[in-house]
Amino acid sequence: AVAAKMAALGGGGARWRRAWLPGLQLLRRGSKAVTRHWKAMSFQRQKLLAVTEYVPPRPAVPPRCLPRPTGQGREEDGHARVLRRQVEETLRSSRMVAVCQYNSVPAEEAVTLRHYLRKHGIHVKFVLNEVVRPVLARSKYRNLLPLFVCRNVLLVSPETRAREMLRVLKRVPQVNLLGACIDDTILSRQGVENFARLPPLEVSQGQTVAALSLLSSQTSSLLQRGPAHLTALLDEHIRRLREAAGPTEPAPGQSTGNQ
Amino acid sequence: VCPAGPGGVAVPRAGLKKLALPPDYSGITFPEKPKLKFMDKVPAVPKVQREPRRLRDIRGPSQVATDFIQGQYGILALGGGYLHWGHFEMIRLSIGRSIDPKSMFAVWRVPAPCKSVTRKSLGHRMGGGKGPVDRYVTAVKSGRLVVEVGGRCEFGEVRPFLARVAQKLPFPAVPVSRESLREMRREEEEKRLDNQNPWTFERVVASNMLGMRKYLSPYDLQLKGRYWGKFFLKHRV
Repeated sequence: AVAAKMAALGGGGARWRRAWLPGLQLLRRGSKAVTRHWKAMSFQRQKLLAVTEYVPPRPAVPPRCLPRPTGQGREEDGHARVLRRQVEETLRSSRMVAVCQYNSVPAEEAVTLRHYLRKHGIHVKFVLNEVVRPVLARSKYRNLLPLFVCRNVLLVSPETRAREMLRVLKRVPQVNLLGACIDDTILSRQGVENFARLPPLEVSQGQTVAALSLLSSQTSSLLQRGPAHLTALLDEHIRRLREAAGPTEPAPGQSTGNQ
Repeated sequence: VCPAGPGGVAVPRAGLKKLALPPDYSGITFPEKPKLKFMDKVPAVPKVQREPRRLRDIRGPSQVATDFIQGQYGILALGGGYLHWGHFEMIRLSIGRSIDPKSMFAVWRVPAPCKSVTRKSLGHRMGGGKGPVDRYVTAVKSGRLVVEVGGRCEFGEVRPFLARVAQKLPFPAVPVSRESLREMRREEEEKRLDNQNPWTFERVVASNMLGMRKYLSPYDLQLKGRYWGKFFLKHRV
């Protein structure tokens, strides 16, 4: 080992040399390049790694100050499109559209409710808000938009039977009427109740006709008022004379003279 | 997500169900044997000549087996190390237990152990020559795929058992899929491009700024500060 060291130093002679070549000597001590443990880095290397770290880009406006990215560019869901078309169809073909808030109803009660409403020709439709909102915004029912929050159900019907609908809904406390659009008129809950209290169309038509023809029906009585008044006065007079002549037995000539 | 309604009460809302199409498994070819092959402890022709340690087969990034061949999911090594027969058996048995051979398959991406590693008997002083061959190992560099799994399965089904296997390997490893690997590479590239620091390790070493090459190895020109020994420094750009 000594001979090897002397040969490595490249020195001759029998004595030791203090100087040593750093290339070989540094290889003798310390670990190899690839170790199982984390080999300690020299300080200069640590400094170099600290200086050359990754610096992420900083935009001038932080992204949290920008408006939230909307869900634009998402491809249309075919299912949603079909449902939207169905809702449009329903709204177009119905005269009465009532929006109700739907809390959980037991299954058999729901079936009964549907059955009773169907008897009056009212269809019960469950709609999802995210499907209905764009449809309403584009159609003329824009003002019904605030009603479509939470779970709701649409009661649609081609004829306007508000009274029966209210009667059925009164039995079910879990379904609350929020508003309705009947014949292109938006009504609140009160409005629907008032509408229900209105007489049916034929009766009101008859009343209108009667009101309009009231004046013309009065014309004949107006014309006959003069002679009728005269006739009444004469009758009264005759009656009075008869009463006066009754106890005193008036002559028939006097009654004719008074005329 | 429950948005707050009026009065601060959370209003639970169920939106429309997004019906996704089932995945398309048309372009998948199954190998003849779906399960992992048994790897020998010792190669068929054991080496007589004991080979030097050559730890450079652990150091640095891998040039082979970095991309998918047959399967869709696999285990990616994020560090260097040696795999011996015990590891191979663990992988083979765990994956064989977890996959369904009728619909999934697994493929080795590392060769059988062929590098002989010697060990001197315990309790003896230094010297007396090189020790006898103790075992055979396979060298794995960072960025190499160890096994690949494929078939009619989703990443979510495969990930749990691949993660369990990856944890038991002697180097850090993660389960990856084709998409996640592509995403990883893309992110790395993006980080490299949008780094705001004008001073990069690569630049400093290539032009020997401040004489840094005195403190660095000549291999740092290729390793570019991302590797240190057998370790892969993931956070470095």
